[in-house]
Amino acid sequence: MPRPRVAIFDFAGCEGCQLQIVNLEEALLDLLRVVDVVEWREAMSEQSDVFDIAVVEGAITRLEDEERLKRIRQKAPVLVALGSCASSGGLNKLKNRMAMSEARRLVYGRDGGVSRLDTAPVKAVSEVVKVDYLVRGCPIDRREFSYVVRCLALGREPFIPGYPVCVECRIRENACRWQEGEICLGPLTRAGCGAACPAQGAACLGCRGTCDDANLEGMASVLAQYGKSREELESRLAVFLDPDGKGVSHA
Amino acid sequence: MTVKQMDPASLNGWVDGLLLNRTVIGPVQKGDKFVFESLSRASDLRLDYDTTLLPPKKFLLPSREILLTFRGDSHYASQAPPDPFVLLGVHPYDVAAIRQMDRVFSEKQVDTHYMARRGACTLVALDAQAVSPNNFAGCMGTATVREGWDLLFSRVGGAYLAEAATEKGESLLRSAGLLADAAPGQLEERDRLWESNRQAMRRHVLHCSPQDLPGLLSRNYDHPLWQERAERCFSCGACNVVCPTCYCFDVQDEVDWSLECGSRCRAWDGCLLRDFASVAGGHNFRRHSAERYRHRYYRKAKYLPEMTGEIACVGCGRCVDACVARTANPVEVYNTLLGD
Repeated sequence: MPRPRVAIFDFAGCEGCQLQIVNLEEALLDLLRVVDVVEWREAMSEQSDVFDIAVVEGAITRLEDEERLKRIRQKAPVLVALGSCASSGGLNKLKNRMAMSEARRLVYGRDGGVSRLDTAPVKAVSEVVKVDYLVRGCPIDRREFSYVVRCLALGREPFIPGYPVCVECRIRENACRWQEGEICLGPLTRAGCGAACPAQGAACLGCRGTCDDANLEGMASVLAQYGKSREELESRLAVFLDPDGKGVSHA
Repeated sequence: MTVKQMDPASLNGWVDGLLLNRTVIGPVQKGDKFVFESLSRASDLRLDYDTTLLPPKKFLLPSREILLTFRGDSHYASQAPPDPFVLLGVHPYDVAAIRQMDRVFSEKQVDTHYMARRGACTLVALDAQAVSPNNFAGCMGTATVREGWDLLFSRVGGAYLAEAATEKGESLLRSAGLLADAAPGQLEERDRLWESNRQAMRRHVLHCSPQDLPGLLSRNYDHPLWQERAERCFSCGACNVVCPTCYCFDVQDEVDWSLECGSRCRAWDGCLLRDFASVAGGHNFRRHSAERYRHRYYRKAKYLPEMTGEIACVGCGRCVDACVARTANPVEVYNTLLGD
């Protein structure tokens, strides 16, 4: 069986998800036995126009990025969105809460008016092209990425949990952040991270996006029970689950 | 076997002795809560615990376990049987739950993985010395149990009474050396402890007998409560995960980088999770959260009791503790259905 050719592309993001792939270390060699990486700017110089799987990291923030992404999609039989920025727009979408001129001024100061710094409202990869698979998280979970790669190499559908983080959090016997007086987005967020943040004593921020049928309405009565305000919840939802303030999306 | 007595220091010494040549699992502190954990020394034991975050089932049915490993040439190997271990300090309601699990995994289709662990386990029960905030075992008849354990410890005044019920329990207790018989006064004190626990473990009071629950549910399939309470439910499965009588699991195959070798793993599943009742072709028998919410109570207090004669709830109260939305209290559900 020939190894599938994989090309890894990056758009707007911190490149931390690609770094997680590099951080596979020894397992990276195993990965290279399974797939043939033909383009990956972060880790090699070669480029290629011929690939079976495109892995796309980052959010889409400029019109020319949209065009580049569409060209990648045309060449890619399978496209994988890598990380929160690609999957949902991620933190970058906070920009969408303000006018683009304001965003330019905040980031570039006096130079914000320069035309080459033109910018557009942030989009997730799926808002521009069809996405076949999502590897969520900020950053991605290395084990999950490895698992998805093996599934794709085998032509098998990966099993990604649809249930909330609470399942994994309870299994780890973590202290419930709600019971510790915090707003935790675990009940709304897709599992698969092993409840990494609550296990370290930090509330879930929702970096893996919403779980299936996330019960945002149910959260209203929970806020009241724990003496929390809608504003406190919304400030947390803004980070990942509702970054552009248009309501919780179901990616 | 006659009931023996042991002072707390001798009990610790005995556990440290056991630890020289076997695994001993017992309750220890984690933050301001308690968990069952493999002990490294007896002094970590917290026999005064009220309840644990997860029930001890995690050592009999692990949250994730490899059932078998396989190679591409159709060779496969089952997992090696576990070494003997002592499960120490299990409260009576959890003993009752383990008895129910034993039946599930041994009747009809015998589950060799569970039964191997169960066979390797010496179950040392402990009458509760503290009652957790949501415990209602007293209403479910499981605040004390007279069967299901190999050895039972009860704290009576400054001493522990030890009673063995099986050869396994006797043999374990013999390793403590020569012990004095319990005095008649101590046995009376143990009776009083049992009565006191039966009364204290009623943090929520069920307004009917557990035997009435299947009939109560039969009459209330379309009660508005299911929808109302499910509106707050996140379908997060916390109630399933922490439940000592929930035993449902999912099985997945995983391959390693060879793409040929791998393992078949089973992991806990829960009926509150949306995909639990999804089947091939995409149909889901309980697509809506209210259907799943209702199913859990029907499963515990109607479907299983109709097969086994026992309510599949031991009143440990962990689901009440664990539910962020505070919508998982079985006693509230049943009392509302009773019209109280």
